[in-house]
Amino acid sequence: MIFMKMVQVGFSYPGQKKPLLNDINFSIHKEGITALTGPNGVGKTTLSKLMVGILAPSTGHITLKGQNMSSMALAQIGRLVGYVFQNPEKQLFCPTVSEEIGFGLQNLELPEHEVQRLVKENLAYFELEHLAQNFPLQLSEGEKRRLAIAAVLVLEPELLVLDEPTTGLDAYRKHLLGECLLKLVASKRGVFMISHDSNFIDRYASRILILENGRLKENGC
Amino acid sequence: MSAVVVNNLSYCYQKGGKHILKDLNFTVEQGQIVAVLGLSGSGKSTLCLCLGGIIPHYFGGEMTGQVLINGQDTAKCKIARLALEVGIVFQDADTQLFSPIVEDEIAFAPENLCLPPEQIRYRVDAVIDMVGINHLRYENTNNLSGGQKHLVAMASVLTLDPSILVLDEVLAQLDAAVKENVIEILLELCRQGKTIIIVEHDLEAVTIADRVLLLEDGMLVNDGPASILQDKELLARHKLLI
Repeated sequence: MIFMKMVQVGFSYPGQKKPLLNDINFSIHKEGITALTGPNGVGKTTLSKLMVGILAPSTGHITLKGQNMSSMALAQIGRLVGYVFQNPEKQLFCPTVSEEIGFGLQNLELPEHEVQRLVKENLAYFELEHLAQNFPLQLSEGEKRRLAIAAVLVLEPELLVLDEPTTGLDAYRKHLLGECLLKLVASKRGVFMISHDSNFIDRYASRILILENGRLKENGC
Repeated sequence: MSAVVVNNLSYCYQKGGKHILKDLNFTVEQGQIVAVLGLSGSGKSTLCLCLGGIIPHYFGGEMTGQVLINGQDTAKCKIARLALEVGIVFQDADTQLFSPIVEDEIAFAPENLCLPPEQIRYRVDAVIDMVGINHLRYENTNNLSGGQKHLVAMASVLTLDPSILVLDEVLAQLDAAVKENVIEILLELCRQGKTIIIVEHDLEAVTIADRVLLLEDGMLVNDGPASILQDKELLARHKLLI
């Protein structure tokens, strides 16, 4: 079943003469890792923000599980699609690393012991245990990135959208992230990531999309 | 005189807290390209802040040891003075950009140097041309993409014409063609006698370095020629290669 579908989607920012995105058509199934690549400034981040409802298309429409996204609340979309920003600072706001990971779970009203178990598990996986009580904005960039990813992953979204997830990660942590994404895929969840990291794409992506001059091309692999 | 001399440098962000840098000692000669590698959290960005004098001038904490930039002690030298010598492009370009228009952002530094207008114009034109961002010249910096912001941040540092350039993971968000162009720029700056210190996780991107410093948990564990980038066993031991 098609999970998300973009139909003739176009987008321009206010005051922009030429649309940034033009007639974008593609579907996402909840399988494998889809990578989106393309030159700087071509609109990759904008496209990903359309996928999670942060931006709305200027023309065309997007459906999520068959429902038009324009009729869905952000919270509704957020249950299904997780989003990790290009700049992790934009999504960190809790006083400690532990609370940051637990925040979404608490909002889902999970019992406290379950919240604590999942927080612990993710702190361990992303090697953030020694920073559990630290203030997120004082972490290094790589640590912030790991935290932002952990805080979204813990919510187990059906589709995870990541904007340049390997920036700031060292080779070892890239490997951890890649393996984690494969686990998600194995549990029938979808991953969509924007990246310039050709090694990472080659290693993990099962489908590559290229955005160029406002249009999307599929590159079989 | 060496471009950078670091003597017994240690630093922690809070007095009595965990040391992020531990007794670093190294020297960088003028015209060298030095790569700094290490896992996230190993102290690379903190080291960059020390080289620019941002530590100890803006951050509190506790710094011991000494950093000399072209012979001047950063702790004793005014930061405005140091900014003429060391240009840093930060890892998060958002922390660096503040003008509404790209051209203003790039002209800000030479304006502050009180250069004559024609010289400001010359520097801005030259840098915009070199970095290849003419198409962004009149854009609002807030509307740029992540990679474009890094290019503008780099251009705004280059207009200061610093003798030492410090780049903190600038290449990661650039597409392949732009990355190649930036690497060419760095090589050209090096030929002009500039000293370049580049923090990066992408081992392929730092093959232009003359020398590689390896940080682990705040300590300098390796200081060797770029050939260590070929030493797969060493890199794997430090988890820099999987």
